[in-house]
Amino acid sequence: MNLFTPIVNLLAKAHPSAKRLMHKFNGGVFPKYNKSLSASQPIRAKLIPQQLILPLQQQVGLPPEVKVQVGDKVKKNQLLAQPSKDPFKALSVPVHAPTSGTITAIQPITLPHPSGLEDQAIILEPDGLDEALDNILGVDGTVPESPLALKEILLNAGIVGMGGAGFPTYAKIPNQRGKIHTLLINGAECEPFITCDDLLMQTEADSIIQGALITAEALGAERIICGIESNKPAAIKAMQKAAANNRVEIKVVETVYPMGGQKQLTLELTGVEMPHKAHAVDIGMLMMNVATYTTIYRAVTFGEPLTSRLVTVSGLGLNQPFNMHVLIGTPFSTLAQAAQPKTELNYPLVMGGPMMGFKVANNDVPVIKTTNCILANPPEPVEMQMPCIRCGDCMDACPVNLLPQQMYWHSQAHEFDKVEKLNVFDCIECGCCSYVCPSHIPLVQYYRHAKSEIKEIHAEKEAVELAKQRHEFRLARIEREKQEREARLKAKKEAVKKEAAKAPTDESAGKKTSSAAAAAKAAAAKRAAAKGQQASSTEEQTETKMPSARLKAIEAAKLAAQKSVKRETSDADTDTKQDAAPMAKPDPKAAAKQAAMLAAKKRAQAKAQQTAETTDLTQETATTEASEKESARKAAMQTARAAAKKRAEAKADKTDSIGEEEITQPNPPPPGKTPKDGTVDKRKAAMEAAKAAAKKRAAEKAALEEKTVKTDSADEMTDSQPSESDSATSTDNAADKLKAAMEAAKKRAAARKAKQQADEQ
Amino acid sequence: MSHPIVSSSPYAHNNQNVRKVMLQVQIAALPALMAHIYLFGYGIVIQWMLALTTALVVEYVMLKLRGRPVLPFITDMSALITITGLVFCIPPDAPWWIVVTGSAFALIFGKHLYGGLGYNPFNPAMLGYAFLLISFPVQMTQWTMPVEFTQSTLDFMQSAHYIFNGHIPGVSIDMYTGATPLNEMRTGLSQGVSIHDTLNKELQTTLWGLNSWAWINIAFLIGGLWMLYSGVISWQYPVGFLGTLAAVSMMFNLIDPGLYPPMDVVLLTGGTMLAAFFIITDPVTASTTPKGKLIYAAGIAILVYVIRNWGAFPDGIAFAILLMNIAVPLIDQYTQPRVFGHKR
Amino acid sequence: MIEAILIFFGLAALFGILLGYASIRFKVEGNPQAEQIDKILPQTQCGQCGYPGCKPYAEALANGEAEVNLCIPGGTEVMIEISEITGLEPKAMDEAATEPKPKETAFINEDLCIGCVLCIKECPVDAILGATKMMHTVIQKECTGCEKCVPVCPVDCIDMIPVEVTPKNWKWPEPNKASGGDQ
Repeated sequence: MNLFTPIVNLLAKAHPSAKRLMHKFNGGVFPKYNKSLSASQPIRAKLIPQQLILPLQQQVGLPPEVKVQVGDKVKKNQLLAQPSKDPFKALSVPVHAPTSGTITAIQPITLPHPSGLEDQAIILEPDGLDEALDNILGVDGTVPESPLALKEILLNAGIVGMGGAGFPTYAKIPNQRGKIHTLLINGAECEPFITCDDLLMQTEADSIIQGALITAEALGAERIICGIESNKPAAIKAMQKAAANNRVEIKVVETVYPMGGQKQLTLELTGVEMPHKAHAVDIGMLMMNVATYTTIYRAVTFGEPLTSRLVTVSGLGLNQPFNMHVLIGTPFSTLAQAAQPKTELNYPLVMGGPMMGFKVANNDVPVIKTTNCILANPPEPVEMQMPCIRCGDCMDACPVNLLPQQMYWHSQAHEFDKVEKLNVFDCIECGCCSYVCPSHIPLVQYYRHAKSEIKEIHAEKEAVELAKQRHEFRLARIEREKQEREARLKAKKEAVKKEAAKAPTDESAGKKTSSAAAAAKAAAAKRAAAKGQQASSTEEQTETKMPSARLKAIEAAKLAAQKSVKRETSDADTDTKQDAAPMAKPDPKAAAKQAAMLAAKKRAQAKAQQTAETTDLTQETATTEASEKESARKAAMQTARAAAKKRAEAKADKTDSIGEEEITQPNPPPPGKTPKDGTVDKRKAAMEAAKAAAKKRAAEKAALEEKTVKTDSADEMTDSQPSESDSATSTDNAADKLKAAMEAAKKRAAARKAKQQADEQ
Repeated sequence: MSHPIVSSSPYAHNNQNVRKVMLQVQIAALPALMAHIYLFGYGIVIQWMLALTTALVVEYVMLKLRGRPVLPFITDMSALITITGLVFCIPPDAPWWIVVTGSAFALIFGKHLYGGLGYNPFNPAMLGYAFLLISFPVQMTQWTMPVEFTQSTLDFMQSAHYIFNGHIPGVSIDMYTGATPLNEMRTGLSQGVSIHDTLNKELQTTLWGLNSWAWINIAFLIGGLWMLYSGVISWQYPVGFLGTLAAVSMMFNLIDPGLYPPMDVVLLTGGTMLAAFFIITDPVTASTTPKGKLIYAAGIAILVYVIRNWGAFPDGIAFAILLMNIAVPLIDQYTQPRVFGHKR
Repeated sequence: MIEAILIFFGLAALFGILLGYASIRFKVEGNPQAEQIDKILPQTQCGQCGYPGCKPYAEALANGEAEVNLCIPGGTEVMIEISEITGLEPKAMDEAATEPKPKETAFINEDLCIGCVLCIKECPVDAILGATKMMHTVIQKECTGCEKCVPVCPVDCIDMIPVEVTPKNWKWPEPNKASGGDQ
């Protein structure tokens, strides 16, 4: 290497691409860095703008839930929004007040996102006092003992990766100690113009190192390596000084874009090439940006949440580029104005660097947790796009060794399957290909477009598959219903026949009620013999207008129904096999449940049209509610059915006791959590788990219900609905908060209607 | 500005563009052009101007017909590179209609009918040359003799007269034209004369023991090295091509020096260097993967050698290139580089 | 002469046996064409083709009983795919079906809904939730946008609303093709 370096340096004088030999990954480019613009300036004093805009969603994952109201006075560091669901699953992080002031609005604002779309944000008007709440995280300043304790702090501090992607930091950390053996500190900062990490390393080297040591301690990591690009000598010196007496290794890496890419820097520092689709954690490494480590240090030691960050405000259009500790939520335009723009800022600012940043739709978008740079480069004349001449420069520059021009070729032709085969999802969108393209083709945008298209195609495929399954299930259900009806008809005929032989005078009464009775038997037959007896006797007692002959009919039908149910069970069994093909085991038990449920339904239908529809609801509710969880859908159906069956059994008592009363069914408990990852394996596993859990819950609920039904009056029953559904909602751990809210509202409204009806009667 | 057209990063560029690349190629051809004028007279200048005029007319008409914007494409310089490549292959004093039909064919059939720049599977210059060689073999094999045979070259007016009228008043053209060394060797071999004797008899040297064709090749080599330096062409093409050609010719020359020419002759005759740096490096029609480039160049070298020694044509570069053009998609398919993090 | 004839007969017999064996050995079960078509159909189960669902239409197509251009949600793209699978001549789509619509899902205006359960019965994928005299709601995730529920609603309370674009499902637009780019 020592001999090699001067040779390459000599070659590089002749041909800059020779420098590509100096680093381990393929390609890379050597853009004009323009870092001295802002790096030479000292960090500016904090600035409190007139308004802070705090988007709820500043990272991947779900937005948190607002905990304040318009008009509230808040202090610095106060919690404004908190993840409502299981945050470890939802990738949600809280938002804290960057300074003291008043909440003036909660409204949609333009997001600092390439799409320029709007989303909800909390608007905070600072009072200028900057009154702070100290140690809101309640830490004692000691190093967390376990990764979980650390994760808890990181979550509550609202820390996300500050290098760019904004993945919640706690989500990157594994739960078990010792899973991470090497902790990596990313101080490469390879993007042109950006110097915030450089200055951070110069000024806060100690807190970076401390943050890394804390993390390593908590995770049980053995090595800590920090990679810094060679073009930041001051930062290297400062870091080396801070790391002098501890185990942090400072490694100087070549200055090449995109050295700061996670996979590239990992390869450079450890020599390990991160396998395709693997996460850093899978190979026992964890890389975080220097800025993230300081925030970790502050959160763990002082209990400070993430409310400000170092931001570079730079660009060729500014007279006084600078770095500043900027409050999250400060509008871009305020900062750009502070840098004295050379001309009016009538062109879009760029968030991030020139290679991977994006133009914001509106210069008033706020700084968010992932904003490392605000770039004001006046627009330049755009070179006309020429056809690809297949020169292959893009391929030589690609740090991931892809075939950019072939991917371009296919995405241009909309052959997205081929683009996917060319591993477009390995593309890190670093922009090297577009940077070198002599034809000025916006290659990266083609890949981004292709990626979104491919994702949509996959989502659509899944949706189509789901729709197909649901349709087939529906067809199977209709088919079963038909068979059920036939069976019922047969049972009724036999019952009528027998009855006619015994008591011809009661024929009309039998006709009127025997169908119901037969269906009741179908349900009853599934119960334990003793219970069945009890149920029928209950019926007998409560059904005051029941003719005495009907009792006999019931007895007669029981036998017939038992027979038919047996047959149906086998029918249903095959049905289940057909429509639940992907299910692990279509056991006869489940089939029996279905049959029972349907039997119950038939009975209810026969009772009265209204009640029939209620049962319809039962089924609909059971089915559709359950299907909210797409992944655990099938399992949910089974459990919902189980629940429905038990409820139906309970209703055998209840319905009779309350006569024609309108009944709303409580929702079955949600059967499982939505696995974040859509992979089939995980889904299957989740399905099994959800099934088991849901079964248990359903059983419990059914038991509870039976009690309720037996003791409570009908009115109480309907009254209890809202609370029950509310509790169901609050425990609902489904993915979508909005949906849950909607659902709750709906249920409340439904309950209201039901009550009205009840009142009328 | 509320809803600007979404433009994607990067917002930086290395300021390279197609026109610059093409221009650099053109500049790299200048040493060869100079050498050509010195050694063979002004014929090539007239040919080049003819070809340029043809190219401008053809480009304009074709772009109009295809409904494309004329200005950006007529100035993309790609046609210039095509005709430059072609003109170097044509005998300097060939009749005017040769170069006109050749360049028109090259541009129309070699480029525009495939969809213009970037879409043509075959090298247009070589397609034009192959078309001329097959259609007008007599005119295409009558080369102007270099200066060492004729002691003086035709001046500009003489060349113009000859190119347009087919004769020069007061001068016997036979004095000035003849067969190329490659042709001589071939004819010699068929008459039982060994390569040695042909070479000794035919090749008089001009400077430093090198003959005119060798000098032309060296001029191309100089231009080519400059292109390599400035990063216009990939190193794989010349290295693969010349390396393979050298290896193959050395091997066969060792087997039978009387039948197969020595390595230096192979490398410095005909259009070897022209091909190595200017023709096979045309990225549109060449393989694009790093390994593919080597294979592509080596394939051409082997075919060139085969055609030169055992084929029906004295110099097989055009056909070798066209044949390898066909193989490009296959080569690209099987030489895809290993993507980062993937197993091979 | 005799030998030649014998050889030819021998060859004919050999190939005949080979082909016969292959046809038995590599027999394809079922009607794969119907399966293939079913796979590319959008599975909205909307019935706009005149068949009760996507599968019946696919089967009808495989049996050559249906036209290729009946799938309206699928649009021209699906029509072309169908004609490729079946080998039938592609046909122009009817009227307005040529432009693919953005994906829409049904929304029930809950103030108007009277709880008639008609839409619930109509929904091919059981995506509507509700009960008699209670307001219904559509499970957005399940809705295929078939619009079958819209006409059956007696109070016209179902609207088809395009799926909202959020930063999550936002798609990078395709770059503007350069004026010079070919094809």
